[in-house]
Amino acid sequence: MNDLAPPLAVETRHSRPRGFWAEAWLRYRRGKLATAALAFVVLMALVALFAPAIAGTKPVVCNYKGRLYFPALGYFNSRWENPIFAQDKFRRIYPNNLRDKDPQSWALWPLVYQDPYRRVRADEWPGRPENPSGDQGFPNRYNWFGTTQAGVDVLAQMVHGTTIALLVGFVSMGIAALIGIVVGAAAGYFGGWVDMILSRCIELVMCIPPLVLILALLAILEKPTIWHMMAVLGCTGWTSIARLARGEFLKLRESEFVMAARALGATHTRIMFRHVLPNSLAPLLVPITFGIAGAILTESGLSFLGFGSPPPNPSWGTLLNAGRSNLNLWWLVFFPGTAIFLTVLTYNLIGEGLQEATDPRLRGGKH
Amino acid sequence: MFQYLARRMLLGVITLLLITFVVYGLVRNMPGNPLTAQMGEDPSRKVNPEDEERMRKIYGLDKPWPQAYLIWMGNLARGDMGRSFTRKQPVTTLIAERIGPTLMLSVSSLLLTYLLSIPLGLLSSVRSGRWDERATSTALYMLYSLPSFVAALFLQIALAVKLGWLPLFGMLSDNYAELSTMGKIWDVFLHSLMPIACETYASLAYYSRFVKSNLEEVVRQDYIRTARAKGVGPTRVMVHHALRNTLIPLVTLLGLTLPALLSGAVILEQIFTWPGMGRLLFESIRERDYPTIMGLTLMFSMLTLAGQLLADFLYSLVDPRVTYS
Repeated sequence: MNDLAPPLAVETRHSRPRGFWAEAWLRYRRGKLATAALAFVVLMALVALFAPAIAGTKPVVCNYKGRLYFPALGYFNSRWENPIFAQDKFRRIYPNNLRDKDPQSWALWPLVYQDPYRRVRADEWPGRPENPSGDQGFPNRYNWFGTTQAGVDVLAQMVHGTTIALLVGFVSMGIAALIGIVVGAAAGYFGGWVDMILSRCIELVMCIPPLVLILALLAILEKPTIWHMMAVLGCTGWTSIARLARGEFLKLRESEFVMAARALGATHTRIMFRHVLPNSLAPLLVPITFGIAGAILTESGLSFLGFGSPPPNPSWGTLLNAGRSNLNLWWLVFFPGTAIFLTVLTYNLIGEGLQEATDPRLRGGKH
Repeated sequence: MFQYLARRMLLGVITLLLITFVVYGLVRNMPGNPLTAQMGEDPSRKVNPEDEERMRKIYGLDKPWPQAYLIWMGNLARGDMGRSFTRKQPVTTLIAERIGPTLMLSVSSLLLTYLLSIPLGLLSSVRSGRWDERATSTALYMLYSLPSFVAALFLQIALAVKLGWLPLFGMLSDNYAELSTMGKIWDVFLHSLMPIACETYASLAYYSRFVKSNLEEVVRQDYIRTARAKGVGPTRVMVHHALRNTLIPLVTLLGLTLPALLSGAVILEQIFTWPGMGRLLFESIRERDYPTIMGLTLMFSMLTLAGQLLADFLYSLVDPRVTYS
């Protein structure tokens, strides 16, 4: 025994098989487009995270009356903007006020001085004229993507709308995945009458016209914010995940490792979520990724129809809606439309890459 | 087979009852009612309280919704879907009016999709890896990811606003009544071009990818190798041996598109102000027109269930390996 042990240990260390996820990641990396798509999502996340530092009218950092403030955080949550600026009657216009009220002050400004919620006026920023309004807001050197009819900069709105596009996808699909996996897992694992009831529930939600369901739920909430919208999209979009999870659990509950776990006395919840779920997660990731694309589509579609969260809301769909009322302003359609298209394309590519990386049937290729 | 069918039907009826119950509850609990939604915020058009009370009685809004649901179900059992609150017409008449325009779009788009996607899929799997296949596949993939409402807006800007070749929206021109018969057909045709194109392109990409991936799976089967070994030409192998077996999943897909055929594309019909079912649904939700919403929901969910049943049935019909007994 003692003679055999060391070489075995050495050998396992050398030819240690990669885990499933490491293998999948290697396969995923082989797809150039899928990797590029993933990089694009990371880029979008960075844009969303640093949106106030990219486009905004509030300084990222400023020293005012001897103290440091971060007014740009107000774009994430209005309470994070220090009330001192409201008390000192800044009226949300920082550059001149900072200089006038405290000549010693300094500030670090966003890359582009444009606001996603209001029109930038003349004399706010040295050398920057007033934003054009009406149908004169062609893309120009100050407003790269043009302005809306009210004179609000499109680029700033789109940069700030990235947060919404990202959050809508991840939060709503997170909710949908949670509901779908729990329902599908219970239905598939327990079978029998539990399966019967849960499957009817899935069928019920599937057969209700989605628009009726979404619009009715949004209407009942009366003043839907973007968070309500995400919750509603999550609560309506879980059915396909639940069906797939049910199938996976149905298949895996008969396998040896489940029997072994049961023999060891593991509880049902433990078997379901510690033993079966990790083994069925890979096929579930694919519809979740496609679901993210779907959620973004639905959100922008609803905002486009005017059912989104109420303004001021810099969602890409809202911009499209503004463009629809006057089609001569093509830049209101072109830029956000392209952004939505690229985002959906990205998630589709990622979903496909995941499918190729994790589906054993697609491995090996032709023979 | 009969037993299976009967069981599915029974389950379907139960599901339908549940769906209508849930939707009725949801719809009745939406803030506002047909009276307020119609009048809007305009104070000059406010109804006085007595009139409102009287109208609530007529419309049955004074009863709690579970009771109103039972009344609605009772009427439905007698074949009466109720009258639209806002349009003062029976719901069945409204649906019958709107079904034609929707079918016109969806059927022509479906036909186009099938006609184009099968050759496209065939071509791309035959020429797999060549540059022309790559170009078409990439283009189709891009189209697949392009949201139809974005495409619709792009088309409107390009073809209607900038070039002025096609009418911007609607189904009929203003001078439709004065046109000759041929002129009328031409007019509707011109109006329908953009909506049909938008409805077609996305499903075209989806279907041709579907055909292609199925073909690639079929081509690996043993009987294809046998056919090749026996000296059958490549075209004949593709068309006679492979394509036929690819049609099986395509047939199933047909069953699942049944509800979409009638429900119409809500957003597209809204953009092109096309007087179809999708627009009716959208308007009825906005106007809180309960009977119309319920009628449409009932129809769509019935079609969805029927489509699933049809898909399973067609599957067993075209694939002898599948039986439901």
